Amino acid sequence: MKLLTWLTERTGLDQVWRVLFGRHVPEIKGPVAWLYTLGSAALFILVIQVVTGILLAMNYVPSPDHAYDSVRFIDAQVTFGRVIRGCHHWGASFLVVLVVLHMLRVYVMGAYKYPREVTWMVGVLLLLLVLAFGFTGYLLPWDQKAYWATAVGTNIAGQMPGLGPLLVKLLKGGEDMGAATLTRFYALHVLILPIIMALLILGHLFLVIWHGISEPPKRRRVTRQD
Amino acid sequence: MDELLNRRAFLGRCIGVLGTLIVAMLGGIGGRYVLFPLFQRRREDWVDLGPIADIKPGSPMKVEFVQRRHDAWMTTERRASAWVLTPNGKDFVVFDPRCTHLGCPYRWDDERKQFLCPCHAGIFNIDGGVVSGPPPRPLDRYPHTVRGGQLLILPNPTPAAA
Repeated sequence: MKLLTWLTERTGLDQVWRVLFGRHVPEIKGPVAWLYTLGSAALFILVIQVVTGILLAMNYVPSPDHAYDSVRFIDAQVTFGRVIRGCHHWGASFLVVLVVLHMLRVYVMGAYKYPREVTWMVGVLLLLLVLAFGFTGYLLPWDQKAYWATAVGTNIAGQMPGLGPLLVKLLKGGEDMGAATLTRFYALHVLILPIIMALLILGHLFLVIWHGISEPPKRRRVTRQD
Repeated sequence: MDELLNRRAFLGRCIGVLGTLIVAMLGGIGGRYVLFPLFQRRREDWVDLGPIADIKPGSPMKVEFVQRRHDAWMTTERRASAWVLTPNGKDFVVFDPRCTHLGCPYRWDDERKQFLCPCHAGIFNIDGGVVSGPPPRPLDRYPHTVRGGQLLILPNPTPAAA
């Protein structure tokens, strides 16, 4: 306790705490209040994804020779490997669901309106990022499902007029899907996307706290003037 | 509990308890996952050298074999050999085929009944003891066992002390 006082005096932790957790939130009654938890739920799942992802990276090799075998090693040999991979697998799907529901809530309640447009735009980028995470992560187990799903996905990118063929080549790291595709997707999945994601989430959260939580839309009494 | 525990404090405590539970569960599972190597027994890759009846008593035999080794998700194969000898068909001695001086492969001289190393003229007797030359210790031996009439050896790359 003494240490906490010492630290608080020097860092202003109490003020940070008050700003983060002591802020005013709209008073909402009934089941509607649950809709306001979707963003936090998505953040929580994201933390799970980060933790389990780091753990999986300890035993995973992004190489065609070893990817599938190392995933099987995680599943069959490492204690709780199946649980950790299961969390990451299901968490990925669940995160997409939560992020979409979160967006729907914001849309339906009109919470994206002035002054929260930037929060909304950053949020849309975050939704796209979550999908990019899902797409790049899906290839990593390097089984039949992963391989052909990525073949389909990259071919869809190839349908883009003009830039399509270049985009496919860039995604695959060459003419054909292979070792370079796997390492590229791995780098995207564990290095590039997480950095962008962290920055955008910081921005998103900052804006949420800066503007405060929006009030739910209220029914206004209509007065007839005829 | 006193009357200070109002609704806000109660919910705060609930959050604390639930949060602790979640962190404990994740930490426990994740921690055990990370500590996996500590609980992992070393996997011994025993090699089957064939039926013991094939090993003639008397002079040592050089046996070639392929050792399949397990390294996490990888299985690698290594070609290697060992010197096997048995005085009576029941007791066996298996020597590491590398001279204990600098690791040269030695050979058996049937006339002198000695192992000769060509590199620096190290000489060992049939029990592996140093007769002359620079080797600092007797020949290294591999652990072995007989199971179901088959001779099994454990040829570790780093010689186990015999």
